[in-house]
This record gives sequence, C-alpha cells and structure tokens, in this order.
Amino acid sequence: MTATVELRARPSATDVADIVAALTKDYGARAVTTAAILEQHGHGEGLADTALPDVVVFPHTNEEVAAIVRLAHLTRVPVIAFGVGTSLEGHVAALYGGVCLDLSQMNRVLEVSAADLDCRVQAGVTREQLNAELKGTGLFFPIDPGANATIGGMASTRASGTNAVRYGTMRENVLGLTVVTADGQIVKTGGRARKSSAGYDLTRLFVGSEGTLGIITEIGLRLYGIPESILAAVCQFPDLKSAVDTVIVAMQMGIPVARIELLDDVQMDACIKYSKLEGLASKPTLFFEFHGTEAGAREQSELMQAITDGHGGSAFEWAEKPEDRTRLWKARHAAYYAAMALAPGKQGFATDACVPISRLADCVLETKADADASGLIAPIVGHVGDGNFHLVVLFDPNDPLERAKAEDLAKRVSLRAIAMGGTCTGEHGIGVHKLDALVAEHGAAVELMKSIKRALDPRNILNPGKTVPP
Amino acid sequence: MLDATFHAELATILPPAALLTAAEDTKPYECDGLTLFRETPAAVLLPENEAQVVAILKLCHAARMPVVARGAGTSLSGGALPNAQGVVLSLAKFRKILAIDPLARTAVVQPGVRNQAISEATAPYGLYYAPDPSSQIACSIGGNVAENAGGVHCLKYGLTVHNVCRVRGVLITGETVEFGGDSLDSAGYDLLALITGSEGLLAVITEITVRLLPKPRYAQAALVAFDDLERAGAAVGAIIGAGIIPAGMEMMDQPAIRAVEQFVHANYPLDAQAILLVESDGTPEEVAAEMADIQRLMTDAGATEIRLSKDEAQRVLFWSGRKAAFSAMGRISPDYYCIDGTIPRAALPRVLRAIEGWSAEYGLECANVFHAGDGNLHPLILFDANRAGEIEKTIAFGDRILALCIEVGGTVTGEHGVGVEKLNAMCGQFNSAELIRFHAIKNAFDAHGLLNPGKAVPSLARCAEFGRVHVTRGELRHPDLPRF
Repeated sequence: MTATVELRARPSATDVADIVAALTKDYGARAVTTAAILEQHGHGEGLADTALPDVVVFPHTNEEVAAIVRLAHLTRVPVIAFGVGTSLEGHVAALYGGVCLDLSQMNRVLEVSAADLDCRVQAGVTREQLNAELKGTGLFFPIDPGANATIGGMASTRASGTNAVRYGTMRENVLGLTVVTADGQIVKTGGRARKSSAGYDLTRLFVGSEGTLGIITEIGLRLYGIPESILAAVCQFPDLKSAVDTVIVAMQMGIPVARIELLDDVQMDACIKYSKLEGLASKPTLFFEFHGTEAGAREQSELMQAITDGHGGSAFEWAEKPEDRTRLWKARHAAYYAAMALAPGKQGFATDACVPISRLADCVLETKADADASGLIAPIVGHVGDGNFHLVVLFDPNDPLERAKAEDLAKRVSLRAIAMGGTCTGEHGIGVHKLDALVAEHGAAVELMKSIKRALDPRNILNPGKTVPP
Repeated sequence: MLDATFHAELATILPPAALLTAAEDTKPYECDGLTLFRETPAAVLLPENEAQVVAILKLCHAARMPVVARGAGTSLSGGALPNAQGVVLSLAKFRKILAIDPLARTAVVQPGVRNQAISEATAPYGLYYAPDPSSQIACSIGGNVAENAGGVHCLKYGLTVHNVCRVRGVLITGETVEFGGDSLDSAGYDLLALITGSEGLLAVITEITVRLLPKPRYAQAALVAFDDLERAGAAVGAIIGAGIIPAGMEMMDQPAIRAVEQFVHANYPLDAQAILLVESDGTPEEVAAEMADIQRLMTDAGATEIRLSKDEAQRVLFWSGRKAAFSAMGRISPDYYCIDGTIPRAALPRVLRAIEGWSAEYGLECANVFHAGDGNLHPLILFDANRAGEIEKTIAFGDRILALCIEVGGTVTGEHGVGVEKLNAMCGQFNSAELIRFHAIKNAFDAHGLLNPGKAVPSLARCAEFGRVHVTRGELRHPDLPRF
C-alpha cells in the first residue's frame, strides 16, 4: 500500500519534437500545433486556468488511438483525451504538456438495437447528436448534463443530469466500453448482456476515471422508450426550506418523478433574465417532470401537487406543449450561463455537493447561509431529487482576494457535504480542483486508487495530475 | 494442518469455540452450493467483530496464509470453496442490522445478514431491498455483494451493484477501507463497483449500506402461453422493444413446465411449448395501463393464452412454479448441469433454437427456466452420470451453449459468478490483454494473492488448458432451497 503514482515533469523538447514529427507524418493535417488550437484544448469550462498541450491530434479509429498511445507510451509523453471541452474541474488542462487526443471526429453512432434498448457509439458523439439520431425509433438517451457534452466525456466523468433521479447516472447506463490502455492495447469491457458476473467490473472502473486509466473510444449505452406521457410543471415557494422539504417528502414517498430541479431566488432571477421566462417570480422554485402512461404521469403530478400545497407552494404552472417544455428545460440547462451573465466580466465555477436525501435540507440551507455571508454572487441550482446541487460561484479574475474567497467557499461546500456522509462531487468529477476533497472524502481508499492507477498506467502518461493525488 | 505457532497466535484473537481445526468441525465448510468440489481447510475461523477480522488478516498476511471468506455458503460456482493450505473466514456471526434510515432509504447491515431479513426488518417503514436471488431466504448480503447477485426483479430494479451505496471492507494487509459513500455518487474511481462481484478476491466485507425501495403499492402477474419456443423468445423482445421494462419477466419451456407442474400444481398449461411470467408493479393505474399494453403485445406475438392474476394469492401461485423449478428438476432426472450464460435479448430466439437443435443432436433433454427479460439463460441439461459417455456429452453441449453466448455478445455468467466452475469459460470470453488488467487490479489489492486464491480470474497459463464440471443432484447441498 505504499505504491505511488510516478511523478511527472514535462517531456523533454527532443521527445516533444520527435512525437510531433511522428504524428505529423502519420496524421498530416490531423496533427495540429497552431497556437489557437492548442489554446482551445488547454482548458475546459469552469476556472479558466489554461495548460497547453504540445500537439492536438484528431484520430478517426480505435486503431489510430491505440497507435498514438503506443507512441506516447514508448517515450513517456502524456496523453490527454478531449471531447468538446465542457468539463468543469480542469480535466483537460495539459499540466505536463503532451498529446491532446481530440476524439470529436470519432462521432458515429455505430449501432442502434431497438429490441435490446441499447446502442453503441463512438466517444465523440454528443448527447444531443445521439438523441437526434434516435428520432423516429421511439427511444431516447436520458443523461443530460447542462452542456452538450460528448458521450465519451460523460462516461469519463461519470456525468449525470436532471434525469438521474429516475434514470440513474452514466454509472447505471453504460453497458460496455472499448478502451485503449496505457500501453496502447484495445480492450473491450462489459458487453451487450444486461448483466455479467464474469471478472472484475472494469466497465464501471473506467467510467468516471477521467482519462487516467485508459482512453474510452466506444461506449455501449442503455436506451429508454420515450414515455407515453410527459408532464412538466413549475412550482414557486415562499422560502428555500419549503422547497427542499417538498423534495424530501416526495422522495420519501417514492414518487417516481423523472426530474425535480431546485433553483434558489438568485438563480431564478438569473434564468428569468437570461432565458426570458415569463410569469415567474425570483423566488425559490422547483421544476418537475413526470414520465409514464397518461394515467401514471397524471397521478404522479397530483400526488406532487398535494405535497407542494402542504409546503406553501404555488399552483403548478404547466408546460403542456412540447415547445413550452423544451423552453423550460433549455432555461434550466442554461442555468450556468445565466448565472455567469449576472455579472459580466466575472468568472465562475460550479460546486458539486451531493448528500443523502435525509441531510439535503441541512446541507442546502447551511450552504445558502454560507454563500450569503460570503458576499459573493453564488446562486444554487440542483438535481435535488438525488441529493445533488450546485453553487455557481462568481468572482473577479483580477481580484486575487475575491478568487481566494470563492475557492474557500467552494471548499467549505465540499467538506460540509462530506461531513454529512455525502460527496464533494455528484457528477463533475475530481479533475485537478478536488484532489484535496477526494482525500478528505475517502481517506485510506485513496491509496487503493493510487495503486490502481499505478497498476493500469505504470508510466503515468494518461492525463497525469488528475483524479488521484500523486 | 495449522502450524503450532500460527495456531497459538490465532488463539490470542479468537476464543476456542471460534477457531475450528478438528476434521469433524471443519467438514461442514468443505464445499458450498457447488458440491462437486470439496476441500478441507486448515482451519475455520468465526470472528464476531471487525477488530478480530483485522487481526486475523494481519496475521495471515504476515504468514502468507490463504484466506477464503464465506457467507451462507450458497454459492453455485464454488466461490466459498476452501483452500487446503488456508483458512476459511466465516462471517456467519456478523448478523446485525445496524441502522435503518427510512428518510434516506438506506440500511446499514453486517455481511452475515440474510438477504430476506433486510426486507423483513424494513417492512414496517414500507421499504424493501430489491435484489432477490432465489436463495434469498438463506443467502447472506455479504455473499450477494461478493457475487453481484441478481434475481427475478433485477430486470427493473438492478443488480446488487445498483442497490448498495457503501461497503466497508478489510484488505489482506488488515487495513480497513470504505468503498463508495452514502450519497448517490462518490468521488474518484468506482471502487464500490470493483468490490461488488469480486468474489472475495479483493477484500473481506464487514459492513454494507444497502439502498431500499418503497414497496410498490400493487403488483400483478400475467401467465402467457405460447405453442412455439422461438415465438416466446421473440415476445420478450416485443415487450422490451416497446420500451416496457416489467418488474419481472421469466420464461419456462415445455420440459420445465411439465417438471414443475407435477411438483407445485400451479395449474400451468401443460400443452404449451413455453410460458412467460410477466409482472408489473406500481400504482394500480400504472399496472392496469402496462398490463393492457403487455396483453396487446402478447396477443400480437402469437400467445395462445393469457391469464392475469386476480389477486395476491394467484400472483404468488403463478410464481411458485418458477421458484420451485430447481427442486422440481431433480424429480425428472438423476443429474443436471446448469448454465448461467447471458445474452442480448434480441438473440434469444436464435440461441433457444440452437439449444433445441443440440438437445436433439446429443440426445439429452434440456429444460429452460430463466430470466428472459435480462437475457440470462439457465438451461438445465438433464443427464445420468451413471450412463457411459453422458457426462462428456453434457459437457460438450454446455460448452457449445456458452460459446454461442459469447459469440452473440453475451457473457458466460450472468449472476452466479465464476468461482472455480467457470474459470475455463473465462478464457473464451476474455483475451490476454483483458485478463492482464484483471490480474493487475488483483495485484494492486493483494500482491501475494492470498484472498480466495485460484478463483474468478484464470491464470494465463490455465487458459491453455480446458475442462468442465457439472452439478449432480445427489451432491447438492440445501436441496430444498429455491434457486436461480
């Protein structure tokens, strides 16, 4: 248990020149070193801290990915997998330079099997693209992080979204993977069978490993039938506590709500302005969606209205037409951008606490008080049905004191969630920003994670410096 | 035989009654549910708290002593088969339910708690634990986690891995580690998933937080008959393809129906070539709507008869035959060999047809009783070990089924685990690059290979060889226990 991950430095200039030359020879215009492209690949969303790769390459096949990784493995040059760069915790920053493997051109839906309710896609397919290609099959893929991320990136960060309370996260919805290992071999994990007891669960080990254990190139996914009936509604509350208590009671009763989203007064104010939502006040608000048969969805919504009534909630505002529903959820998905628009010129990042539902009220209310006391602009939005919520913390990038204050607030959010039996990250992952919180959360298990990293990537070339502390 | 010094050291940790070394005391532990394999351990240890487990593992680690953890001993793949040079570490005394949090819908339990006891204890809160292996009245939750156990209702509610959120375990070094956490997700690598289904090779489990579900308000079952096996297989695809995930969807073919009907008298249609049992749960309105869809789909799929359960007693009666299938089979054949291959559902008609063909080719009857919704087959090849050549034919038949399962994109074991039984079949499913990763992970947890050695993942060398085993009725333990 003393194994540590091999410490890294940037590769030597000679090694970089060699690998750039080799990649240029093999991939021509698909190996790029221009400043603008390097800059674009040096950061994700969230904190703008940038660390440039030495070269960006755009592979098209599993075999090309394997060949590139073999090359890097030979010379111990870092390899960082990149989808569309929407991750929030600095996952794609090339801390030690190296090769950025941009998988966005591996964007084919390889197979859709309606009878099995599954599909297989390349890593660069985005979630919106997948659902567009599923049109007409009567099926959909529910996981919907705010950004239009790639499926590969979503698998790598174990992403979730507004539907997780009903459909689970990427953990539950990835059936199998094709992965290129650190030494450039192509392995397949899982399969199309719905369950397997054969061997260790490598599928779930790679899901959420943030490109540090292997490069995910193909993903088998579960799909779902589009529900016969979808009802969406909005309910506003006099105070935050009433809204959160509503959620807790609904979960306790086991109402199979498909989406239940909390927006605090500040976030509602931001969304009303940014997405031009009409007829709603800047008050703590819940967005609901009910899926099922006609009778089932209606019954769920009636049960929910009874609970909100008991907590001082307003009458439901229904979004009955599909376009109204789309507008509502677009507004929700744009919450991060709406929050950023509250203070132009400021930067922001999102916290990602997730706690057991029995601690949700304590955690949200303490966090709200903490945010208010900090004097920072920090709206709350979250998938509260599964105990996950975000604080979008804004700060002035030119004011180091304000940035420090923002980072302190975020740290307190993580530690508060951990102290309540929860996690510092429900869906965004660790990246570079939550390494300390990971240790606080997992203690001895972090040593095991390091051992696993060392076992699967002994040369520490895969996304070095992320996910597990050195 | 234990070395005297080692024995003395163990005796400082455990009272004499918890440290068994005499042959008559260790004999009950010589096998699990897979009785073809037997081994006498050097000792059986029965700790009653985590501190003792830690001390035992530290001692075994220092002495390089193999350790096989054991729950209720109901494994069907030899997961708890002792190691002749090692000790059996029984978790049988870890039987406490430590906490129930009805608001968070979780329970903290010790590994020796029976699966069903969790649902019984949480019933007053209107909650239950969803995974329901057929042996749930006897099997322990620790064993369920170790094997990633399934059951009839995992089609809708997931396997063990989907229904636990935190596991506490002790590594071979004696270090205690928490895997996962109490909330929806947990930061970093998914060690919880790695531990679940690791068959006791990575850690000894001492505590588990399970997720609980609210009991569905209403459940109804449909018994659907077909005059053609392939058509029944296609009907499964029709339901799933319509986007309906029933609470359970099980299939039995004619040999199975006949065997079971003689046994439980559930009034199954004896002339049917196959029956499907389909369950729907939820609110009465949801169930009614789903059942209407299912009836329509089944009629379109060529069902010859559809019976809906009229009340709870009839629903239970419908299921009684399915649950008793294992015991019933023993009445019609001296021996049988159960396969656990799992396939994508759309391949069901093709695989069932192939099995039917091979059954005729080998002259061996094969009864199919299985989790159709998951594509988890349980073909039971019926044979008589006393008849010359039948074992070999059975083995060849089973090999072909598993090879076909792999070929259509499936797996050699859906829920019973690899244990010692399917080590060879693993060689067909995984290539050396994949097996190397498995060994690398084992090495990261247990560098000396002391936890449950020789199970779950075949050595690369072993994959050069091939053999197979079977289960015989005469040697089955707990023969009365419902299985599969």
